[in-house]
Amino acid sequence: MTSTGNAVPLSAHAFTRSVFTKTLHDNRRIFTVWALATAALAMLYAAYYPQVSANTAAKIPDALRGFGLSDTADAAGYLQGAVFGLLVPLLATFYGAATGARMISADEDSGYLDLVLAHPVSRTRLLLQRYAALAAGGVAIAAAVLLAMLAVRSGAHLGAVSVTGFAAQAVHLALLMLLFGALGTALGAATGRPRATVFGVTAAIGVASYALNGFAPQIGADGLRYATPFHYYIGTHPLTEGFQPLPILTMAAATAVLLAVGAWRFDRRDLGR
Amino acid sequence: MTTAIELTELTKTYSRGRAARRGLDGLTLSVRAGEVFGYLGPNGAGKSTTIRLLLDLIRPTSGTVRVLGLDPRRDAVELHRRVGYLAGDFVADGRQSAGECLAFLAALRGGVPAARIGELAERLGLDPSARIRSLSKGNRQKVGLVQAFMHRPDLLILDEPTSGLDPLVQQTFLDMVAEARTAGQTVFMSSHIMSEVEAVADRVAIIREGRLVAADTVAALRARSLLEVRIDFAAPVPEAEFAALPGVTGLRLDGTTLTCHVDGAPDALLKAAARHTVIGLRADTQDLEELFQSYYAAA
Repeated sequence: MTSTGNAVPLSAHAFTRSVFTKTLHDNRRIFTVWALATAALAMLYAAYYPQVSANTAAKIPDALRGFGLSDTADAAGYLQGAVFGLLVPLLATFYGAATGARMISADEDSGYLDLVLAHPVSRTRLLLQRYAALAAGGVAIAAAVLLAMLAVRSGAHLGAVSVTGFAAQAVHLALLMLLFGALGTALGAATGRPRATVFGVTAAIGVASYALNGFAPQIGADGLRYATPFHYYIGTHPLTEGFQPLPILTMAAATAVLLAVGAWRFDRRDLGR
Repeated sequence: MTTAIELTELTKTYSRGRAARRGLDGLTLSVRAGEVFGYLGPNGAGKSTTIRLLLDLIRPTSGTVRVLGLDPRRDAVELHRRVGYLAGDFVADGRQSAGECLAFLAALRGGVPAARIGELAERLGLDPSARIRSLSKGNRQKVGLVQAFMHRPDLLILDEPTSGLDPLVQQTFLDMVAEARTAGQTVFMSSHIMSEVEAVADRVAIIREGRLVAADTVAALRARSLLEVRIDFAAPVPEAEFAALPGVTGLRLDGTTLTCHVDGAPDALLKAAARHTVIGLRADTQDLEELFQSYYAAA
């Protein structure tokens, strides 16, 4: 590629070559804050494990067993309940919803999409490059959480969980963000609804499926769990079972289907103003 | 190729919301390669709808669109490579500086020489280091003009290009359009002000409520314009003697003063007037702006 602008500072220059790099560049601060905040919270909760395990009388109401808040006496059980079962996945859901809603909807609201799509960039390529930046952010957040876990692993008496277990859990976490990111991106791409609506609907689907996964055993609808991403994310116990093809492929496939449907509809509709 | 834009029976109905709104209604129009084409109409007539159809940002309800011999939908990427587009309300990324924005858009096109961008920016008086968010409407419009012209596209599609520009920059813009024509580029520009396109356009089309009402050269449209006549009589005259004359419209009698428009030969009017004592007579060709107003208003 030829040089495209001597007047432009080099640092910005390198990031203005494609929709993907520009999206990453535009979101660098947001992604960093998400990664640091999520990792810090996960680390804080994980570090609390020695106090919890000392209190073996910890009682969990039966109604909440579906959320994995049992077996607080062992490290994997504690992490699966308090850290990777509640706080982190909900943050991941909101990351996907918030970022996904910005990938297409926000720029369509402002009219900026008209400018980019009047250039030699197909709609599908725009969507995939935007989504690739969202995915890179999700992977960075999951990597930060993994690093935080490994940092406190011995100090917080979490050695019973293998490094592979933590790595598998981090991969599941990344896939959860990619899945909800794909849902938000696809909803915006397919419907052209405003950003706030896309965020709200995506987050609501996330919270509802989280609750469904948790309460399904209580309402005698165990089978419904398999329809929620949270079952594959946490119900397959990556911390103890490590890498398993089924949950990983299921979440990846659901993500691909959402993106494909979103891109298909996006390519066929009018851009809004 | 001799035809740059070919629209056939183009209809666009917006279905969003409860009330379906008709944006275009059977529009047929052809723009020759290498000409500057003015696309005129009042706000809401369907100008932006037409332009967004040309760029595949929206899709026709029925009818066909060919741009540079290509199908805007199927050949979108190739077509966009050869088109420069300025939107009616140009929106860029406010966080970028003008230079960063232009470098990004150039990169999407596979690169444009920096010197070319710099030359256009300088000519329009645009500071590349200014953040777009902080720019005035007029300066933002300059960014839009640079990105539309910078890659020397075969076809320039400009939606209300001069809005917000001060008169000096408007002149620079008109020079750029004239140079583009000299270089063999086709320019399709919309406006709701006739005088704006009169200076550069080879041909103009006028649309109203999604339909074509006239398409011709500026000179031919001027020839069609009405005569504005004012006659002062020595004494009041009966309106009935003038109301039914051939070609006379917009008749008004104010005491001893008669005003009207005449389409075609004023012979009948003059002969009717000659039956009375005429103390004053004035006849002007209607200016183009008024002509367009009459096209806009015509039922």
